[in-house]
Order: sequence, then structure tokens, then C-alpha cells
Amino acid sequence: MSFLAPILLFGLPLALIPIIVHLIHLLRRKRVKWAAMMFLLLAQRTNKGLSKLRQYLILAFRVMAVAAIIFVVGRPLAGGLLGLTGGAPDSVIILLDRSASMEQQLLTTGTSKRTAGLRNLTAAIKDAYGKRSKLVLIDSASLQPVSLETADALLDIPQVGPTDTAADIPSLMQGALDYMTTNQTGRTDVWLVSDLRQTDWNPAGGRWAALRGAFATLQGVKFQVLTYAETQPSDLGISVEKIVRRETSDKAELLLDIRLKRGEPVAEPIQVPIVININGVTSTMKAELKGNQAFLQAQSIPIDKTTLRGWGSVQLPADTSPSDNLYHFVFDAPAPLKSVIVSTDGEVSTPLAAALNAPADSSRTYASSILPATRAAEITWEETSLIVWQEVVPDPESPVAKQLIAHVKAGRSLIFLPPTTPDDTAFAGLHWTKWGTAAGDKPSLASWWRSDAGLLSGTRAGSALPVGEVEVQRWCGLEGESVPFARLDETAEKAPLLVQASADDFRSTYFLTALPGSGQSSLARDGVVMFALLHRALNEGSASLGNAQQRTAGPRALGEDPGAWTRLDIENPESILPLDRPLRAGVLKRSAGAKSDLLIAINRPLTEDATLTLGKTTLDEVFAGLDWRLLERTLENEKSLTSEIWRTFLILMAILLILEALLCMPAPKTAAEFQSKPA
Amino acid sequence: MNVSQSFLDSKVLSRLLALPLNARQAMTGNVSGRHRSPVRGASIEFAQYRKYVPGDDTRRLDWRTWGRTDRFYIKEFEADTNLRLALIVDASGSMGFGEKDATRLNYSRKLGGTLGYLAAQQGDAVGLWGVGKGHRQKLPAKRGAGHLRIVLDQLARLEARGETTILESLHEAADQISQRALVVAISDFFIQPAKLKQALEHLRFRKHDVVLFHVMDQIELDFNFERPARFVDMEGGEIVMADPSLLQRRYKEVVKQYLAEMDNVIRTTGTDYHRVLMKEPYEDVLARFLLARLQSKGRR
Repeated sequence: MSFLAPILLFGLPLALIPIIVHLIHLLRRKRVKWAAMMFLLLAQRTNKGLSKLRQYLILAFRVMAVAAIIFVVGRPLAGGLLGLTGGAPDSVIILLDRSASMEQQLLTTGTSKRTAGLRNLTAAIKDAYGKRSKLVLIDSASLQPVSLETADALLDIPQVGPTDTAADIPSLMQGALDYMTTNQTGRTDVWLVSDLRQTDWNPAGGRWAALRGAFATLQGVKFQVLTYAETQPSDLGISVEKIVRRETSDKAELLLDIRLKRGEPVAEPIQVPIVININGVTSTMKAELKGNQAFLQAQSIPIDKTTLRGWGSVQLPADTSPSDNLYHFVFDAPAPLKSVIVSTDGEVSTPLAAALNAPADSSRTYASSILPATRAAEITWEETSLIVWQEVVPDPESPVAKQLIAHVKAGRSLIFLPPTTPDDTAFAGLHWTKWGTAAGDKPSLASWWRSDAGLLSGTRAGSALPVGEVEVQRWCGLEGESVPFARLDETAEKAPLLVQASADDFRSTYFLTALPGSGQSSLARDGVVMFALLHRALNEGSASLGNAQQRTAGPRALGEDPGAWTRLDIENPESILPLDRPLRAGVLKRSAGAKSDLLIAINRPLTEDATLTLGKTTLDEVFAGLDWRLLERTLENEKSLTSEIWRTFLILMAILLILEALLCMPAPKTAAEFQSKPA
Repeated sequence: MNVSQSFLDSKVLSRLLALPLNARQAMTGNVSGRHRSPVRGASIEFAQYRKYVPGDDTRRLDWRTWGRTDRFYIKEFEADTNLRLALIVDASGSMGFGEKDATRLNYSRKLGGTLGYLAAQQGDAVGLWGVGKGHRQKLPAKRGAGHLRIVLDQLARLEARGETTILESLHEAADQISQRALVVAISDFFIQPAKLKQALEHLRFRKHDVVLFHVMDQIELDFNFERPARFVDMEGGEIVMADPSLLQRRYKEVVKQYLAEMDNVIRTTGTDYHRVLMKEPYEDVLARFLLARLQSKGRR
């Protein structure tokens, strides 16, 4: 409990007034000559204990009533939960979800979930903890702990600003855990402000179990989860999936593949105006939306023939989620899609090369080469989008390994295929173990694969890839921490078929545990799965090549030096702090004087458009075994986390005074019976 | 008789003179009076016949009966005598309770003085025991206006002080008053009822007609005080600090229990007991007392 006017609590000694008055009365009692002392003494002797108790109770009630009045004028505050925390903890760690979805706002006030949460939290911390606890902020964009002098800093430091990033809540929790274990924070309240998006929380991920276990070992850790989980069904989001510049003899145009998504399907088709901005020139088009999404393929936007490269955006009318109303893009002559297959096994490399050379997009140029590991130095690293490595994993200290690490850290793709004789040399924390074969006569099949994201996700039309039809006769075991994309069935002991490295800088590294070719698998024979897999990896890798690149907002979206980049799409580029530039959607180019002529469009991750949120049951599972409380708020009903409870004290005072009056109430003033009875 | 004492009201006296002071039982006086005597006498009221025995006064033979029955019978008549009124007035410190000119002792003076005057007016003897620890006025019962004046003067001079000795005085009266008498005790009786019972039984054993006037103030029953106070004992000087608002309920219970015990004592000792509130006019109290006595005139 805290007070809005704590200075008035200095008046608490006034609660002793009844005791002082009582003592004065004791000293200044009237003197009465009394004859019936016999009755008085007897009454006092037999009434002593009860009388004393009654007297003390009356005094106590009077003291408490006066104290209650002082509490009332001190305007006490209690947050249903805060008021009962038993005092301020040693540390308060604030975990802030700064994902793009937290920018959903109330149109009438313009207050976003992030702002509302911060305001509410600031007030609550000031009221409940004051300056007695150490405040630390960890935000989802930087994951760096920042010490705060006062709770008010939560409203104006750069680390709480809006971003267009996704949030990785398990990483945020890990950040809190690391901070607590490193700094020995003692009794700690962890406040987590989030909109509970499933894509950010990833409740099925394996990290939660480890986090729960680690937090359970810490004493005095309490979680307060402040949520704004409401979603707006009528909210529209827009994204551009593909940009192609096409030129004929008489005109030039940009072909845009635009996707519109709505929270819930519309009953009747609606017309959605889209503002298209290319190099500062705007035009408007209308799209018809049926159901909950629309895909506008190859929308032609005429451009000047001299415009060979540039940038632009597509924009929807304002609604509750401004972050998904705008999507930036850049265009330039596309870089060739180069790939290298490092293998000495012709049965493996030939089908791979055939798939990689086949043009999935007629407007692009494809080039694939096959090299043995010994000639890996010949790889043109700066131009290659994908490397398929079907050789022994190189020693981490070797130059080739370092080149490969630089390759994946730059965002280009690398797929490891098992070598003929695997060893335990690891890359990105993963290493091959030994070959296995399907039990029985029949080959193993893929029993599970991830169809919502990754290299094996469904097609653009929504149908799934036929991964389940892939037959695998031999596969190679794999050890290490990874994100599974496909798994074989029981005949192969549910061995992984395709995994992604889970280490942060190695997300573009994949391990495919089966080889194409006869006696190995049907990857080459059936072709579709392998073709899609390879070309998606190739496209992913090419995104970081060429002079016009699309990137997802995140702390590394602009590399190591964000200050070297300038926003093109706003009039005052310097208004965006360098650290915020990779976190906010926009178009950027290197500052003057840079060698590269690179254009980058940064956008929100499309996972932020998913509106699924965690329910209470899932949260119970996520925080199972931990001391946590859920504080649900909405933008419309922004109820304070703390509330004034002076009425409670007023009622308490009234009760105390009534009790005191009851105890003080004299016996009824009826004359005692004094009639003599006849003898 | 000249009424000189200020506590006597001539108007009250003149109104009450119409009511005789009767004893509830036969009295043994030394002169003829208006009260029944336990022995036969020469009044005009026929009592009974009895057979003549040698030695009887032949003047009392009823000759008419001898003429009819040829036997000797003696004709007996009731004897009337006077009574002795012994006024025992408590003059302990607690009798000084009350307003300056309306103390319990003043009230008792009026009750006792008026009774003495009435008794003297009908030829009865009046005596006084003014009792308190350390002081005592004791006048034996005598007839005559002169003695009444002395009794009234002594009554007027009584001062309320010291502890009560009413119990000792009652026992002493029982011992020292040799003949049947009307013993009237006026006090607040702030004593244990069980001890009072012993004194009353003592008086009853000596065949005295005992009357108690129990004088109390209303506030002594109700204990109605607004604020806590220091209560100073009027007899011993002991000081008790008490908050009546906290104590009143229990005080009343104690008083109620005391009065119930007093009722029990009165019932078992056959005492003529009158509870008197100081706010009541003493004339009403005496009128009620005298009227009740009219209906139960003394038996032999």
C-alpha cells in the first residue's frame, strides 16, 4: 500500500490524542462524595477484567478511528495485487514487448497498447514501490537490461519506443533470468507487458520448460503479466511479396504481388483503397477483399523507363494497427541467383544442380556450380546465395569454415547434406552422427513437417507440399540444438529430416539428413519437395545480395553500424535515432561517401499480422509452478493497476466509531426498582 | 406543645395527627394508654369469662351469671397501655449524602422527629439512639413534653460522621430495652443483609415491634454519572476512580442483588420494612406507614 499524499502520514501521531485525553481525564476527574461505596467497590471488583478490556477496546477503537482518518486524507492506494505484496521488492524488472503488434491503438485517443501499458505500469510502480526498488528495463528489441533511476523514465527513454520488430518472449525471459542470476537481484518482481501474440510467445517451444526450471530455483521471484490481448477483427494488413521491374519496348512497369489480410472475414466483398508510392510519386488503386484476405498478383505500376532502381511503399487507410498498414519495398535489377554444390558424389550433386538451375522465376538468372571441398576457396562468396555442402563438415578453425560462418551471418543460405563418412565436427552447434537405414523392406516416410513457416511451408495458393510422400531409405543422424522442420516416422525412430540451426547468427543454416539419389531417398525422383526447398533457400539467401534488399526489422537488419544508414522515406531522417533505424520500417540507404549503393527496405515480420493470442490456460502452462499473476487490461478500459482505497478506510473508521459508541453506550436510564415488598 | 425544631413542619404534623401510631403487637407500658397490653385490665372492652379461683378479687365476680348458673365466674376486660418508641437514627458519614440542606440525615430527622412527636401526642414514651462510630446520643424512652423536647434537640444536633454502627446499635437496643417497644431504625443500611438479619432476629426475640426506614437516593440506585470521577467514601475516605459508563451495568446488578437479599431478610424476620427515596415527601412516607398500621392493630 502506498499513499498519494504520504506527507500527511506525519500526522499519524495524532492518533494518540484519545490516549492523551484519556490520561488527562484520569488526572482531572471530578471528586464525588459517595456513600454507597459498598456497591461501587463490589461492582468494580467483579467487573474489573471486563471493564479494563472494554476500556482498552474503546481506546483502541478511538486510536484506530483517528488513524483511519489520517489514512483517508493521505489517499491510500492499493493495487488489488500490489497492495498485498508485503512491501517493495529489492528489484523490479520490466520486460517490455515492443513488437509491431503492440502498436495497435485506440483510434479515439491514439494510445497504443505499448503506451497504455507503460503509463499504467509507471503509475503502478510509483504508487506501489516508490523509489524503494531498483528498476531495470529489458525490451524485446534490444534484449539489453537498462537501469532506470525513476519509474518516470519508462515513458521517455528510447528503449521503450515503437518498433516494427517481432518479439521473442522466451528470449526476453531468458534476459531477465540472466540479469537476475548475474546481479543477484534478491526479491524480485518481474513485470511483463505484452499483447500475448502466439507468434511472439511460442508457447510450444522447448525453451519454456528450461526457463520454468531455472526460475523455480530462484527465491522470491514474482511475475506480474500485464496483458493487452484484445485484437481488432476489422483490422487490415498489407504486404508486398514480390517486386519485379519489367521493361518492354514502349514502357516500363513494376509488377507487385500484394497481399491483403483481415482479422476476420467480411460478410460482403469490400473495396479497399491502396495508396502506392514509388520514388515519392503516389497513386491510388482499389482492391476487392473477399473473406479475410486478397492476393493481388502482378499489379502493374507504370514507371519511367529511366527509373532502373528505386523504392516505394503500399499503404492502407488508417485503422487501429498502423504498423501493418504500410509496407516498403525497393527495386533494382535483380542479382543472379548463384548457388554452389560442394560434393564429390555425382549421384547427389547432379539432381541438386538440375533443380537449382531450373528457373523458378523467369525474370531471374540462375547459376549453379559443383565443386569438391578442396576447391572451396574458388567460391565467389559475395555473389553466392546458397551453398549446399555434402562433404565432411570443415574444421571450425579452417579458413573455409570461417568463410561459411561469414556466409550465413550475412544472411545467405547454407544447407548441409550428410557426407559419406560423417564425423563429429560441428557447425552451428550441430554435427552428424552415423547413417541409419529404414527398418524392414519399406522406406521411411516423413511423418511430420512444419507447414506454416520455413522451407517446407505450404504453397502460395495455400496447399501443402507433398513432404509426406518423400521416401527415405537411408538417413544420417544429427546431434545438437536445432529447430525441426521435418521428421521421419517410427521406422526411422522419428529421426529429423530437415532442421534449422537455432543459434541466433546461424538461422540460415539447414541440415538435410537424407541424400537425393537411388538407394538414398525419393527427393530427386519426386522432385517437388527438393525443388521447393532448394529454391526457397536460394531466394532467402539472395535477399541479402544485390543492391536492393528486403529485410525484416530487427537489431541486425542494418548490420553492425546502423548509424551509417539514412532513411529515405521521411523528411527528417535524423529524427530516428541510429539504434532505432533497424527496428523501424522504412527505406534506407547508406550515408554519403559509402562505397556500396545498397537500398534496403525494412518491414515488420509478417508473423506480427497473426492475431492468435494466448489464452489463460496456455499462460497457466507457460508459468506452471511459478508465482505469477495475470493483469488483463484493454485499451477501452484502462483501469489503473492501483486504486484509491480511502473509501475502505472511511468505512473502517465508521465501523470503529460505531463499535466505540456501542461499548460506550450506558445502561438504559430506567430508575432502578426500589419498592419494598411486604414482610 | 411548642414546635421549635426547624425540621418539623407544623402543617405536616397537624395533618398526620389524625392518624394514630399503632403497634402491630401488644405493648407493655407502665401507664394506661391506647395500645393493647398482653395482660387483662380494666378497660370497658369485654374479653372473656373464667372460673373463680380462690384469691381472685371478688369485686370482679359476675353476679348475674351466678344467679343463672349458681356458679362463680370472673368477668375479664382488655387492658390498654402506652408504648415505648425507640428511635434509632443512623448518624454515620454516609447519612450526610445529598444536597446541602437535603441530606439523608436531614430526611431521617424529619421522619424520626415527626414520629416521635406523634407518639408523644398520644401519650407514648419516646427515646432516641443517634448512632455513629465515635459519637452516640442515647435517650431512654420517657413520656412528657419536656422529654420530647430533649429528644428533638438531640435529633437536631446529630452530625453525619464516622463509620456506621447501626448493627451494634440494633443489638444494643435489643439487649437494653427491657420491655416490648416499637423500635424504629432509620438508616441507609449499607451493611451486609446477613448481618442485619442477625440483629433483626435479636430484636424479634425480645418481642419488639421493629420498623426499618431504608433511605436511599435515586442516584445511589442508578449510578447515573456522565463522566469518570473520583468517588470518595464518605465514611472511610477511600478513593475509587471509576468510569460509570463502564461500571453502571454491573453496579446496578450489585444493587439489585443487595435489595433482593434485603427482601429475603425482611421476609424471614417479619420486620416492618419501608424503602424510602429521598425525593419522596416524608409526609407521604409516614402517612403510608401509619395507615398500614391502622389495619394491623396490635395483638396480644
